[in-house]
Amino acid sequence: MTFDWSVLWASLPALLDGARTTVLLTVLTMAVSIPGGILIMLLRVAPNRTLNAIGTVYVEVARNIPLILLAFWVYYVLPLLLDLRLPPFWAGLLSLSLIISAYNAETFRAGVNSIRRGQSDAALALGMSRAQVMRKIILPQAGRRVLPILANTWVSLFKDTSLVSVIGVHELAFTALQIRTTTFRVLEILTAMAVIYWAMGYPQAKLVDWLHRKYGVVE
Amino acid sequence: MEFDFGPVASNWRYLALGLGMTMSLSLLTAIAATLFGTALALLRVYGPQPLKPAIAFYVDSIRAMPVLVVLVWTYFAFPLIAGLSLPPFWAALVALSLHASAYMSEIARAGITSVRSGQMRAGLALGMSRAAVIRRIILPQATVRILPSYGSMLAIIVKDSAVASVIAVPEYLYRSTTISAQTYRPIEVFTVAIVLYFLIIFPLTRGVDLIYRRVAKLGRS
Repeated sequence: MTFDWSVLWASLPALLDGARTTVLLTVLTMAVSIPGGILIMLLRVAPNRTLNAIGTVYVEVARNIPLILLAFWVYYVLPLLLDLRLPPFWAGLLSLSLIISAYNAETFRAGVNSIRRGQSDAALALGMSRAQVMRKIILPQAGRRVLPILANTWVSLFKDTSLVSVIGVHELAFTALQIRTTTFRVLEILTAMAVIYWAMGYPQAKLVDWLHRKYGVVE
Repeated sequence: MEFDFGPVASNWRYLALGLGMTMSLSLLTAIAATLFGTALALLRVYGPQPLKPAIAFYVDSIRAMPVLVVLVWTYFAFPLIAGLSLPPFWAALVALSLHASAYMSEIARAGITSVRSGQMRAGLALGMSRAAVIRRIILPQATVRILPSYGSMLAIIVKDSAVASVIAVPEYLYRSTTISAQTYRPIEVFTVAIVLYFLIIFPLTRGVDLIYRRVAKLGRS
């Protein structure tokens, strides 16, 4: 078996282009899923029972199905149901956002719930308004607690973007698998893909560990 | 819009075999990951010093890479180096287990280190061997404490088993895409798939949580 690593120089621009799409997809999904998560969290804590049920069902379904299946569903089924054809990139962004929003909603809910009631009672007793309590007491503390978990979600999201390659989003995995079939340099290309993912993912995983050490809640 | 579940119903035998393969792939992955991951965690906490950075590097590297990447590399690239070809199912089992083991080892390590070190010293002072303290005092408490994270890991294993469809393992998702392509009924086929996966994964996490609530008091010390 001989290996021809020169193929990498020829395909590097395409691979880096794919990597750029991977990063773009990660950033856009998170940008959508933070407000999305807040919205779903508000549904889940709403006093109205119908809204509450919608929020709960949404979160449970989204967290208990494979993302790769949801990607197929969004790409093949949604156009038939809604009569609107999404290009792969947008279908991928939508399916990732649907799932990550559910995770974020749970993260935010846990963050707000983790601040003891006594604190808001105390602040109200000191004459603060509800909005002030939220802004000055709850959110700063909840933010610190939420940050490491959001960072975890970020890293899983970065890796999960590879799954939308199945519907033809031209991100890193899709690009690499495509170059593999045109050049037949299987080992070289797939190893390069793994190395690029590793080089991007490893520092992120380390950063998450650091965030956990710095902000993590020790019980 | 008319729905026709005929294609799903008439292919139920084919789909049921896929469901069986999803379950057996998940189960075998879970067993392998539990054993291998726990071994990694024990070695990282109690093992010889030179081994620890190596295990940490392995675990962090796996955490940095998508499961799809490990999977396609194991199936397409590994045979070229090793000179042996793995059938899709076994390639998927190896890749998913390698991936899940890294997560399992982090979960197990968190459980082991959560048991205060005073307990190890107390056990040793009572004349127990290190192995006996680990087996009889530390692991039982750690097992109870990690149950919630273990439940989410099992859920992730079932979800990741669907990724095996990429290398044509004939599990449920793969068979769904085949039938959807043959019958042009993606709505029914994929919606049934979503419902079925939910019916497997949701009770799994809920079941582990229920068990945890029953036994949580055994993990306190």
